Amino acid sequence: MKVNCRLGLCLILFSHMALAGAAQSGTSIIFPSLNKQPKFEGEVLTVYGAVNHRVISPLFKAYQETYTNVAIHYTESNTRHLYEQFLSEPNARPDVMLSPAMDLQFKLANDGYALVYDSPELGHVPKDSHWRSELFGFTYEPIVTAINTDILAREALPQSREQLLNLIRSKNHLLDEKIGLFDIQQSGLGYLAWAYDGQQSRSYGRLLEAFGTHQAQLYTDTASMLDGLLKGQIFIAYNLVGAYSYQWTQKYSWIKTIMPTDYTTIIMRTAFIPRDAQKVTLAKRFIDLLLSPEGQHILANQSALTPISTKVKGPFSRDELSKLPHGIFRPIPLGLELLIQTDDAKKRLIYSEWRDAIQPVLNRKK
Amino acid sequence: MAKATTSIRRQLILMVAAVLIVINIIALWSAHIYANRAAKESYDRLLYGSALQMAENITILDSQVFIDLPVSAFETLALSASDRAFYAIMNGRYQVLTGYKDLPNIPFTQLLQQSSEKEKFIPIYYETMYHGEKVRFVALGKRLLEADSVNDVFIIVGQTLDARRAAATEVSHMALQFVALFFVITLLLLLFVIWRVLQPLQAIKQAITERSPQELSPLEANVPSEIAPLLKSINYFMAQLDNTLSRLQRFTAEAAHQIRTPLAGLNSQAQNAIDETDETLRQKQLQHILESSNVLTGTVNQLLSRATLTHRYQSHPFSPVSLDHVVKETCRELVVWALERQVEIEYLGNIQVTIKGDEFALKQMLQNIIENAIKYSPKGGVVEVELMVMNELPDTSIRLQIRDQGVGVPDKDKEHIFEYFYRSPDNFASGSGIGLSIAKDVAEHHDARFHLKDNLPSGLIVEVIFLQQKGLSYES
Repeated sequence: MKVNCRLGLCLILFSHMALAGAAQSGTSIIFPSLNKQPKFEGEVLTVYGAVNHRVISPLFKAYQETYTNVAIHYTESNTRHLYEQFLSEPNARPDVMLSPAMDLQFKLANDGYALVYDSPELGHVPKDSHWRSELFGFTYEPIVTAINTDILAREALPQSREQLLNLIRSKNHLLDEKIGLFDIQQSGLGYLAWAYDGQQSRSYGRLLEAFGTHQAQLYTDTASMLDGLLKGQIFIAYNLVGAYSYQWTQKYSWIKTIMPTDYTTIIMRTAFIPRDAQKVTLAKRFIDLLLSPEGQHILANQSALTPISTKVKGPFSRDELSKLPHGIFRPIPLGLELLIQTDDAKKRLIYSEWRDAIQPVLNRKK
Repeated sequence: MAKATTSIRRQLILMVAAVLIVINIIALWSAHIYANRAAKESYDRLLYGSALQMAENITILDSQVFIDLPVSAFETLALSASDRAFYAIMNGRYQVLTGYKDLPNIPFTQLLQQSSEKEKFIPIYYETMYHGEKVRFVALGKRLLEADSVNDVFIIVGQTLDARRAAATEVSHMALQFVALFFVITLLLLLFVIWRVLQPLQAIKQAITERSPQELSPLEANVPSEIAPLLKSINYFMAQLDNTLSRLQRFTAEAAHQIRTPLAGLNSQAQNAIDETDETLRQKQLQHILESSNVLTGTVNQLLSRATLTHRYQSHPFSPVSLDHVVKETCRELVVWALERQVEIEYLGNIQVTIKGDEFALKQMLQNIIENAIKYSPKGGVVEVELMVMNELPDTSIRLQIRDQGVGVPDKDKEHIFEYFYRSPDNFASGSGIGLSIAKDVAEHHDARFHLKDNLPSGLIVEVIFLQQKGLSYES
């Protein structure tokens, strides 16, 4: 696909598959090449990602500074949608697939959709952050809880899940319909984090019960959940990606971000090059940048995404992250353990538990 | 010069290296087989373990199969970090309950057979291609019992082979390193041993090289029993050489003396003859000169004939010789000379015999013996020459006897008579003293026995016995 970028503007398009619901929407953004010659036709790198385009753009910029003739066509969507789109369109696969839904990414790699690429930059990142030279973890991000402190009144900010449950119990009906959750049936990341909670903690059942009792609101993306938190539609947002939450905390002082001190789930955003990628070489260069100290530095300083590398410095580096109050970091392993998250039977079990707890509330709302 | 064959050292090293290489190749090959088997078994166990954990979490409730796979099953699989894994849970109607829907070559026949036999399920391992990679699967059945119904489900778990290959390769590499080290160390040790074993040979060589050419005393060296015979042979050879050399020295000295003395005598006699005024005395002196000259001629002839014979021994092969003919001819040639000394030669014997030998040498031998017999015979004596066939010995042999009636040789001199220039102290006849030793040499060259015996009532018998030999023929 050749794109003529005479205007040199960022074009933000809603893609053809955009549907009414936010969960199903996919946003197409073109980052034109830096080559401003008239009638210049360069190459286009197609990237699918769940990360907000504003967050990832410094990385694209750095890439395009090296490869000035390359335009980047970025499709932003939620993780589950990206996964389904990848499978349903075998003839229009991207050159790079980025997603924090490790289980879905892993399933694609395990099923042989990923290209093997021994990036020379792999030495810069931890050994357990990549799998078979097919799937590359490039961030190290906590799953957090965000709280609008208005709800606290005189109560202390809860630090653990247990304290969160206590808070919910004490506020009781004040929190009815005021808790925000990812809809695990719509959001891949939401399901991953929730299922991982199920493996880790005994508080999982009580949390589910509490969320059900208080008619938790379901969201399909972080932005709208944080928006709801800001507008007072919800006071508690559970299992958010830390990067976004911390940004809001910086902007709005009454929104606090907590890394639960019982344990803090860590997810990696992962990238792979599909086997059917059109621009394999360009994609490889992008992976190289992503894993290189330079790319990791951009993440830690401009993208607000905590990079996987322990060596880079910056406001969002792993060093800085571990200085914040946190529990035991429990990174979700990037390996065959993730297959359990994609298991249909398991999914049916978790969904049915979820529906039993939360769906009746939704029905009652109608 | 003998051509050196391949060096023992090199042969030993080559053989040792060859044996080591063969052993090491066998060791490597076995290590490789073992590594593959060990890797296969251990990873099969992981696979089986994973399937068992899955099986344990499959239950039946109200005819509904309830599956809640444990994370541990996948954690077990994740132990081989670089492998893909695939799984499926199926019921007896080939329906996939969860997992991968398109796993190939599932051994349903065997699974259903196990299912129908109502026995304990045993895992079935198989390898097949899936998603473009070779995958090893285990298929395991699980019996679900509920009140009056029996339901079997099948668990299929598979994994790619990278981890087992890596494990096998690692073990093989370790084996390779070990074997390489072992090879180098053993080779060095064996090289040292070979060097050590061959050291005595080197020492002998060194000892011989360092000697002056004249030194022929035995080599003194401590050598292993295998090399001792060699050293013994060398020492024996050197002793022989020493003996020969000293004989030669003695011979040369004696020959020089033997020639110089008569020459000096001749010289002074000739001088006297020139100075002599008395005609009769001068005639006598001239007569003496002639005699001395004859003796000298005889000596020189003997020495030359010996030199000729020595040369002939090395250059002339044997040919058939009519012995009786040679004997008769020699007698005939000497009979005039004998008669001048009033000695008769009598040839006894009426056989015709042919042996293999050197006619010239044999004739020299006969001449020397007969001349010697004539010389020592008293006037009017008879020298008997007899040739006969002897049957007393186990083998038929030919006996030649030359008998004289002289004074004979006392026993104490018989040993010395063959030494060059030996002459009995009581000797009165003229002679060079080497005639009999030449005769004995010739006899021995023909493998004949040479004896001296006493004749009765007095005199010497020289006896030569030609042993039965190839090519000997005779007629009585």
